[in-house]
Amino acid sequence: MAIRSPPAGQRRRKRRLSHDWPWYLLFILPAFVVVVAVQFYPLAYSLLLSFQDWTLTASQATEGFNGLENFRKLLSGNVFSRSVRNSAIITGAAVLVEMVLGMALAYLTVGSSWLIRSVRTVLILPMVIAPVAAGTLWRMMLNSRAGLVNHLLGFVGIDGPQWLASAEWALVSVILVDIWIATPFVLLVVAAGITSIPGDLKEAAYIDGASRRQVFLRIELPLLAPLLLLTVMYRTLDSLLSLDTVFTLTLGGPGYSTYTLTYFIYTLGLKSFNLGQAAAASWMFMLFAGSVIGLTFWMQQRLQSR
Amino acid sequence: MRYRFRKTLLRALRALALTIACVVVLVPLSFLAVNSVKYDRDFITVPPKLIPSEITFEHYRDVFSTKRTVRIFRNSLIVASVTTLITVVFGTMAAYGLARLGLSARLLGLIVFIFLFIRFYPRITTVIPYFLVMRQFDMLDTVWAIIIGHLGITIPFVAWLMLIVFRELPIEVEEAAVVDGANPWQRFSMVVLPMTAPGVASAAILTAILSWNEFLIAASIARRKASVLSIGVASYITDQGVQWGEMSALGVIMIVPMVLFALSVQRYLIRGITLGAVKG
Repeated sequence: MAIRSPPAGQRRRKRRLSHDWPWYLLFILPAFVVVVAVQFYPLAYSLLLSFQDWTLTASQATEGFNGLENFRKLLSGNVFSRSVRNSAIITGAAVLVEMVLGMALAYLTVGSSWLIRSVRTVLILPMVIAPVAAGTLWRMMLNSRAGLVNHLLGFVGIDGPQWLASAEWALVSVILVDIWIATPFVLLVVAAGITSIPGDLKEAAYIDGASRRQVFLRIELPLLAPLLLLTVMYRTLDSLLSLDTVFTLTLGGPGYSTYTLTYFIYTLGLKSFNLGQAAAASWMFMLFAGSVIGLTFWMQQRLQSR
Repeated sequence: MRYRFRKTLLRALRALALTIACVVVLVPLSFLAVNSVKYDRDFITVPPKLIPSEITFEHYRDVFSTKRTVRIFRNSLIVASVTTLITVVFGTMAAYGLARLGLSARLLGLIVFIFLFIRFYPRITTVIPYFLVMRQFDMLDTVWAIIIGHLGITIPFVAWLMLIVFRELPIEVEEAAVVDGANPWQRFSMVVLPMTAPGVASAAILTAILSWNEFLIAASIARRKASVLSIGVASYITDQGVQWGEMSALGVIMIVPMVLFALSVQRYLIRGITLGAVKG
């Protein structure tokens, strides 16, 4: 009897707590209202917009539904496919480098001496700086004549490229800035993951004669895998969504060479005010992002149930 | 002997790698700071001047001589602080309610998924209709439209973060308060919140940084009156060229408060960023 009584007591307590459910609903209400008004309603609105013909500069009200016309026009246009390609290149390259670099830096900054702690403090600075400011800052750094980067490259005998003025190098510039801004995030998350691995697990492996590399490959990497997967998703989507750096670094140029998907939709919707097509493009983007999130969660569950 | 040599070599390589990493972070920041006190004529020199021939604060004076800069600085302060305040209150309340409502694990999982989804789906999808709604309500170019736009992102984010925190809090800690006849609001504000203060601090810091730095929503809403710092910094880049000096000065003005803020609350900042990723 004495053994069974605590769970029963706990049940009673739980009942007592959830007896107050009207209170809890009241607690949730403000957040619920905001999410519905600022997220769900606009989402539904933009889905409807994507099937309508509406350019704000031509007409104050929508000119009616036009079926899949917006999607057809987008997919047959050059700029949209160019933007998709640019986004894929930028995000793919940036996330790959960020993951490798961030993991390496996480392993290099393990420790708690004051020196290591100050290094870590310095390294996370790019993360708190406004991406808009980071873009302008690198615009000055990468200026082909008066910029610091080419000047420093000159010291080691490299004739630096026209970073922001040539189509290929402008793309590289956007990638570099993304890496500069986001590597600290990977560093922090991976460092937290490493410290959460129980030490005796590794110790036991070392006693059994495992090498450092074996411990990394056989113990740390599998344990970190779900976390790394989530980090890749975070970074992929955040990098795809970033508008600020392109806006201040290249304005999409030269030509359309650094038009990213987000920048393209932004200019289409809020500069040319072609609301229908912008909504259509954003929903194609949405479906892609949704499948990335869904895929990540699915893989996450498989990794954890393994 | 050979082992010790290898160890020393590895240590040297580690020091070298970390030094390079610090240089890559610090040099651009110093360059921005230096540029903000350079005379215009020093911008076009080849090679670039790392140390200007003369120091001037004219860009700061120019930037602050216009009413516009004073206004956008004030707007940024208002947007970030009001957003943070409302977010922390509503976000933690919602998280507590969700944690104690006794929902099934499946339903709670779905809600967490929705929160995460809102955090990561293309924000541009909602920004265009949000612009239209605000236009309809005649709220374009108002600070409140920006704040409400930010709340749409930050409230679900904080609710998600605090849900992780509250789920780890054993229900027993509220027991005494229940016996004393405290209602849920009293339990929440006098027992639960003080116990989870570090988590609340992390949530508040992340919200403040996000709101201060945010560009997309602000740029879609603000025209002139409600302009904020992120728009101000970007506005120096025009088709006619870039006003380097003033842009650098305003960039410094935007960056410095956040860097100081982040340094002083670094522990909570790091905790907030890693909490979601490690435990979520």
